Amino acid sequence: MHSRVDKFVETARRELKVELSQAFLLMLSLGAPIMRQIGLSSFPDPAAAEAYSRAVRAEAVDRLPELLEEFERNATARGVQVIWARDAAEANSAILDIAQRRGIRYVTKGKSLVTEEIGLNEHLVEGGVEVFETDLGEVITQLLSLPPFHLVGPALNVPPEEISAVFLKKGIISEPTTVPVELGKAARAYLREKFRHLDMGIVGVNVAVAETGTFINVENEGNIRLTKSSPKTLVAVMSLEKVVPTMADALHLVRMVCRNCTGQKLSSYVSMDTGPKKTGEIDGPEEVFIVIVDNGRSEIYRDPQARQILRCIRCGACANVCPVYAKIGGYPYGFAYTGPMGQVMNPLLLGIEACSDLYRACTLCGACSKICPAGVDHPSLILEYRAREIRLKNGGSADFRSRAGKALASLLSMVMGSSLLWRLGVKCARPVLNRFARGGYISGIPTGPQAWFGCRDLRAMPARTFHEQWQDLQAGSGREAS
Amino acid sequence: MKVSLFIPCTVDLMMPEIGTDVFRLLKRLGMSPVYHRGQTCCGQPLFNAGYRDQAKRAAKHFIEVFGNDERVVSPAGSCVTMVKHHYPELLSDEPHWHSRAVELAGRILELSQFVVDTLGVTDVGASFEGKVTYHESCHILRGLGVSDQPKKLIASVKGVQYVEMNSATACCGFGGEFSVAYPEISEAMVKDKAGNFLSSGADVLLLSEPGCLLNIGGYLHRNHPGKKAMHLASFLAENA
Repeated sequence: MHSRVDKFVETARRELKVELSQAFLLMLSLGAPIMRQIGLSSFPDPAAAEAYSRAVRAEAVDRLPELLEEFERNATARGVQVIWARDAAEANSAILDIAQRRGIRYVTKGKSLVTEEIGLNEHLVEGGVEVFETDLGEVITQLLSLPPFHLVGPALNVPPEEISAVFLKKGIISEPTTVPVELGKAARAYLREKFRHLDMGIVGVNVAVAETGTFINVENEGNIRLTKSSPKTLVAVMSLEKVVPTMADALHLVRMVCRNCTGQKLSSYVSMDTGPKKTGEIDGPEEVFIVIVDNGRSEIYRDPQARQILRCIRCGACANVCPVYAKIGGYPYGFAYTGPMGQVMNPLLLGIEACSDLYRACTLCGACSKICPAGVDHPSLILEYRAREIRLKNGGSADFRSRAGKALASLLSMVMGSSLLWRLGVKCARPVLNRFARGGYISGIPTGPQAWFGCRDLRAMPARTFHEQWQDLQAGSGREAS
Repeated sequence: MKVSLFIPCTVDLMMPEIGTDVFRLLKRLGMSPVYHRGQTCCGQPLFNAGYRDQAKRAAKHFIEVFGNDERVVSPAGSCVTMVKHHYPELLSDEPHWHSRAVELAGRILELSQFVVDTLGVTDVGASFEGKVTYHESCHILRGLGVSDQPKKLIASVKGVQYVEMNSATACCGFGGEFSVAYPEISEAMVKDKAGNFLSSGADVLLLSEPGCLLNIGGYLHRNHPGKKAMHLASFLAENA
């Protein structure tokens, strides 16, 4: 997928002014956490359920190489053809090759973030294979060429008028309508035709089970189940961290992903596939491929600080509680992964230096890590990336800004490390800053961090700091201070 | 018990009355707090910006200054989080400093935590006729797990009416450098916070974090003059 992460600030500024995005985000940020709470409260012990899912993901990631081999063994034994793809190019060409060898003209797809990450749709289209997304949100974003607005609901913010217009243009409806049910019905009829004549379907994977070789998909529209069960050839694309040791672990993650994502105890459809149709069985695909995508993840696995991001189960709960996401929505993140998990995942896939805004536009409020059912500590990663960026920028070819930044940080560090310099600094800063004060407040400064004053005032520095008042304070109380 | 005041730089330089209010409050509770004149800044701005080597120097200075105190108490949960959680991590590759950091982490407390949990006091003898609400600052709530303590202190004020504001636990949009690096996003966040305060009908917005106070207070001063945010320590000391 083409990254637009360099446009973070301008996209965020734009989205802050889009009324519809703002209204929708308000609803999402207020409603989704409540739905999640209701969902979790159906567990006899919600805290234990969270601890279990965190433990499952921690174990799965730490035992990743071994679990992947076990998964491959068991899947292969049940007739699945496992393909290992080191990067996006290998995955894309393997899948295109499967399609071309079978003379496939089109495929349907279930919603899959990893296929967005590797840009599979573009590659298939270039190779002469038409791609039909089948998740309603994905249908809409595909038709409108929009990036994902939300990890789970990519087109949640698109108004019915816009959907109606593009459906008309594509012949999915013949009369304009803004009734959501009508639009949904039309999309369903349109997609049914695609499923009826389908030869090859492509889906992602929510959880893979090492002990059985099963892969599990969670959805609410039935489109994934149809994509899995209609064609002769089924291809599942899986980023390599999706595997867990046992079926019991996998089922618990299914419970957790649904509750954290939509607040449901279980999504409307959960499908499990263990190998292709066996002799005597009446339905199911005749051949099943699983493409296990690395695309930089082995590198992440070897990185002791960053490894924990592989625990993510893509429930999207972190975005629903993120106060920054609640203001800017998914577009500024500029890649397949949005919200806090995008902030910590995208820099590893696209490079630390290319993604500065992703890990800098964060107040470190900790709302994401607090609720993460997979045990990802997003703020610690964000702090880690900031430190890495500084180290990278202070390497050989540091530009003027980063040299200046470092010089300032070093000066501050020296001052903070010395009581004398600190006090001297305070004495110097006061008259400089207070020159701009009116009535005890500063409303603007001609240089420096002016952005503060866009919406806020700053109190002028007091005539005496606490430090300078201390002697009087303790004299007043008649006590000694150190 | 020997209590040492950690007066963070935002308080010392910008809002010294919070420091004097903390001092008065603790005196009232029978403490004789000491103040080390050598203290500077905990280094959090450098650490958060990614300048770890530079933050280390500030951390070591802090440990030298506060290293022997029985209890270190501060009216800033964010700075306490820095010392308690990030110093050990920051100094993990220097065993001597690391062990001192870990040891200090067990002795540093946010003010309401100290008053309620350590001293076992909830009623400091304050009274206030009016309606107040409380903003749950991120690093106090999620960094230190402190939420009941300040609310108990507020509830024990005679005559006070406490109302919970909507989205009390949502970030106010300060985030240190964030507020100047992403001013539009920060503004949208602080605007919500101020809006929730206004619609709560409270006369005063209480909080326990100087950073949030700079942000929310500065926003209210510009956009809603007459509406007041104040540090819990000041509220308790002024009304006691």
